[in-house]
Amino acid sequence: MHIDYSQEAPAVAGRLTLSQIEELVARPLDTKPDRKYFIALSISGSLLLLGAICLGISFYYGIGLWGNNQPVGWAVPIVNFVFWVGIGHAGTLISAILFLLRQKWRTGIARFAEAMTIFAVICAGIFPVIHTGRPWLAGYLLPYPNQHSLWVNFTSPLLWDVFAVSTYFTVSLVFWYIGLIPDFATLRDRTTSKVKKTIYSIFSLGWRHSSRHWQHYEKAYMLLAGFATPLVLSVHTIVSFDFAVSILPGWHTTIFPPYFVAGAIFSGFAMVVTVLVFVRKIFNLENIITLDHLEKMNKVILATGMMVGYAYGMEFFIAWYSGVQAEQFVFINRAFGPYAWAYWIMVSCNVIFPQLFWFRKFRRSIPVMFVIVILVNVGMWFERFVITVTSLHRDFLPSSWGYYKPTFFDMGILLGSFGLFFTLVILFTKSLPVVSISEVKAVADGAQPTHRGGHHE
Amino acid sequence: MHQTEFNYQRKDLPAGFSKYGLIFLVAGIVLAVASFFIDQTRAAFNYLIIYMMIVSIALGSLFLIALEYVAGAEWSTPFRRIPEFFAGLLPVLFVLVIPLLFFSHDLFHWAHEEAIKEDKILQGKAPYLNISFFVIRTLVFIAIWVLFYFILQRNSRKQDTSKDQTLTTKNIRFSAAFIPIFAITITFTAVDWLMSLEPHWFSTIFGVYYFSGTVIAALAAVTLVVVVLKEKGYFNPWITDDHLYSFGALLFAFVNFWAYIAFSQFMLIWYADLPEETFWYLTRWEGSWVIFSLLLIVIHFIVPYAMLLSQPSKMDPKRLKFISVWLLFAHLFDLFWLVMPNMQPLKKGYIFSWIDLVFPILGIGIVLTVFNFISRKENLIPVGDPKLKKGINFHL
Repeated sequence: MHIDYSQEAPAVAGRLTLSQIEELVARPLDTKPDRKYFIALSISGSLLLLGAICLGISFYYGIGLWGNNQPVGWAVPIVNFVFWVGIGHAGTLISAILFLLRQKWRTGIARFAEAMTIFAVICAGIFPVIHTGRPWLAGYLLPYPNQHSLWVNFTSPLLWDVFAVSTYFTVSLVFWYIGLIPDFATLRDRTTSKVKKTIYSIFSLGWRHSSRHWQHYEKAYMLLAGFATPLVLSVHTIVSFDFAVSILPGWHTTIFPPYFVAGAIFSGFAMVVTVLVFVRKIFNLENIITLDHLEKMNKVILATGMMVGYAYGMEFFIAWYSGVQAEQFVFINRAFGPYAWAYWIMVSCNVIFPQLFWFRKFRRSIPVMFVIVILVNVGMWFERFVITVTSLHRDFLPSSWGYYKPTFFDMGILLGSFGLFFTLVILFTKSLPVVSISEVKAVADGAQPTHRGGHHE
Repeated sequence: MHQTEFNYQRKDLPAGFSKYGLIFLVAGIVLAVASFFIDQTRAAFNYLIIYMMIVSIALGSLFLIALEYVAGAEWSTPFRRIPEFFAGLLPVLFVLVIPLLFFSHDLFHWAHEEAIKEDKILQGKAPYLNISFFVIRTLVFIAIWVLFYFILQRNSRKQDTSKDQTLTTKNIRFSAAFIPIFAITITFTAVDWLMSLEPHWFSTIFGVYYFSGTVIAALAAVTLVVVVLKEKGYFNPWITDDHLYSFGALLFAFVNFWAYIAFSQFMLIWYADLPEETFWYLTRWEGSWVIFSLLLIVIHFIVPYAMLLSQPSKMDPKRLKFISVWLLFAHLFDLFWLVMPNMQPLKKGYIFSWIDLVFPILGIGIVLTVFNFISRKENLIPVGDPKLKKGINFHL
């Protein structure tokens, strides 16, 4: 294989013209949904319905329907929460951090990843609320001066989660919307439908593509990227605090914050690749979401997967090195106890299989990458399961040992959250441009001022 | 846009490099030897700090080189020779480590057999913390680093004349292989030489903590040399604000990364309040150490954060020169804070000794001399690198 390092691979393949890009991205919004679309929507909608029913029954009879027991008081609901928050890390990482790092390849995937972030955080938000068992009291999570002088527990990281996740959601949403404004204007200008024109006009806030507008826009985008960057890192850091500030062996360890952040990026990227593999095919976006972009994402998956592997190893080493008996027991129990099956699913999915991405051939093969990212999604769910359940199920006294099994309702609600996520994703693909038209145009062939006579620099 | 035509003429480094290097080296050796005669333990601890500082700069530089290859970075290609020269300190570690192995009894509590006999926890750690395994680990790690250093720099230099692009491909592969090995070796280096000074203490994030400081030290050293050489006309006129900005932005990012890791470690130990972990911080809160602990936050985070926050400050050569020196000092200060409170007579608080001032002189002497020796016959820029032209014409 020979690569010419003095040339740069184009960010948009196939020498698309600017109008072709616009046409390609806007087409799904102009055409009526076909049969396949409704089939997909009904599958995800059914899952969502299943989740809603399980949730409704749980509310009616109480959360005794779930598998949570003594000593495993935190179980699948928290696992699901951490899982979805983790998925929600790719979008803002791609749009904020890769923007600050001036990675042009982010333009093709940023919009979709940001949308997935927002949907994933919505899914995540459900679980802590229902896990309290009294969701109608969720309003009290927000601290406000009241006559009873009742305050939330400010020293609890669970409360910091409320602030961290809601801030992250707000900033991600604003960031997403700011990026959409020029595209709304483009859609407004090209649509023939009166209704759509009105809607797009409202959301485009009077955008006219004037250079003054672009100036403000770029400043705002830069500032928001700056704000969003620490948020990407802080959210999962605080989620890791939920566990790590305790004194429970298996939860309390100092590497948790960066380890959780790496894991979140890992799982988020895996989910983005999972979905993009389909999206680029269905909407003919192969030239905009190119194989090069997917390969770069797979490299990030390989790197973050190894960071996660490093954390697994370090935890084991320090558990032994610390000389703390309880610590040593938890880790031996994790790998060889009753939940060994979950542990080895986690290790093989997160650390072993992604090693295939060392090879360029596999990084660029759609079937291989699809299998691996699915395994990563599974593995990352199990990682949270292993952390949560294995640390709890054998308490300090053998009389307080137990085994946790999720019930039908636990799994129904998990499936329901997938239903919600994919329903939102499917609706998104037909209602908003799935790729940022203006950003992709800016990195397309011929858009750069340095371009001269078809020669790249 | 105008493409800068690029003709490179090799120029010798400024004479100051070798002159001051030699002065510092000779003065440093004389003073260091003298201090070993006066207070062997204190000198050994100080020498350890300088040794780790040199490891940080050398190994961190090798990491920066590998990162450039793996990430496909272009902006840093014109300056890659600078970290290559700094990484040339790696083979010297074989020599520099000898006194430390010689004085390991002064440094490590776990190296005393009578101490292990009375201590159940240390008995448990003995399979890892014992002199022979320790020496093997140290030498094997250095050998691995030196091996990668030789491969990467040899390919890079061969390219100067051959302009062969497959050498870049080779270096990308070796860099990719190096990074996981680097992660493991730097972690256990940190555990061995810094964490095990207090053998009862443990923290899973410690390797990452040392890594964050390492990258800051190496980046600061590279930035400093780049700005100094730019001012002396070595890189003009094609080095632009955009290149400098990238250095500033990376320094800023890693200053934040260090603070994040340091805070994570402190906060979790403070919050959980387990005596087997908190005592390490409590030692650093004892007597006058409290001043050092508070100053560490100011020196290593608040000042560099404030100085690099704004966009213009990230590309101002004067500011960058100052902040590079500052950050090199900050990493030294961090190492001092990690190492010195473990010395038995200093457990209750810091007591000043002139010996603490001697060893940085030795360190500067070693780094300057080696840098000068290695760079003496080499091109200051990788003239045959295929990414060089793109790197020179780099714009944000």
